[in-house]
Amino acid sequence: MVESPGLATFAGDAGGSDQELVDQALAGRREATETLAQRHRQAAYLLALQLLGNRDDAMDVAQEAMLRFFASLGTFDRERRVQPWLFTIVRNQVRDLWRRRQRRPGDGLSEAGEALTRQLVDLTANPEADLRRRELKQRVWRALAALPAAKREIIVLRDFHDLSYSDIAQVLDIPIGTVMSRLHGARQQLRAQLQAGGRHA
Amino acid sequence: MPEQCGRTFGEALLSGYLDGTLVQGDEQRVRLHLEDCESCRTLVDGLAAVKETIMTSTFDMPPDNEWSEGPSTGSSRVARGVGWPLVIGWAVLVCGYAVWEGWQESENLVERLILVGGVSGLGLLFLGVLLDRLKAMKTDPYREVQK
Repeated sequence: MVESPGLATFAGDAGGSDQELVDQALAGRREATETLAQRHRQAAYLLALQLLGNRDDAMDVAQEAMLRFFASLGTFDRERRVQPWLFTIVRNQVRDLWRRRQRRPGDGLSEAGEALTRQLVDLTANPEADLRRRELKQRVWRALAALPAAKREIIVLRDFHDLSYSDIAQVLDIPIGTVMSRLHGARQQLRAQLQAGGRHA
Repeated sequence: MPEQCGRTFGEALLSGYLDGTLVQGDEQRVRLHLEDCESCRTLVDGLAAVKETIMTSTFDMPPDNEWSEGPSTGSSRVARGVGWPLVIGWAVLVCGYAVWEGWQESENLVERLILVGGVSGLGLLFLGVLLDRLKAMKTDPYREVQK
């Protein structure tokens, strides 16, 4: 189980910066490749899950994204961070999947929202508080799943994965100057959706 | 957001304020405005609550054994790339030689038809499997996965 934003390390991480690990992986060190994979694959899976809502599809996308990530390691710009680069691959894979299935990003969102909320877990020992918190989280993730893809991904990248505005601009391939306004618009729509849902509940 | 709140900056700055990404001047402007404007304060508090809910969400993760695959090494890809043409070349040569020898030694038409028919059938089956494999390779997401 993984809680945001604690995605940076995993049990048994041998350490070293991502850039160092990339250099070692390119030099053929198998352990460096394994460490990079273990350090980032969970975040890749979670992003795919949050965009697709389906566990099996998310696993397929994350596996494929990791393979492409390693296949393109030779062209990686060392000035950039690994995670935004991997997220760009995940996002492209998700879009490819929608295209292959000839679905628009908004199709099947209610099922996706339900499936996504089933993957939520609670970690506290207080059942009453857990129930309230769980219901709130379910409402929020259901509303997120119902947002247009462009709005859902920017919120998820910022608020769950804790990416900086410049990293978000890189992943979404948009100017950094538009990140704040697009993010605010997405947050406003999410809030409006939650308020509308609250009134109907 | 009500327009009459007297805000003198773009509303998107409220998200920048929430994320702590504003430059000092903008941050101060927003902070001073929030001290006087209840509607903007309500909006920021609401956005902050949603952000906190997303941030603290936890998801069930797939078990480690589902992640046991790793990228295949360059050497294994090269070995596989060289191995297949060698196997195909060997099969063509051996079959061709066998057909030639059989043709030379057979004395009547029925024997020759049985020989050519059998080998052609096997060859076509092999070709069918090969073409299917080549087609699958282009779309198989697990082709570079090492179990």
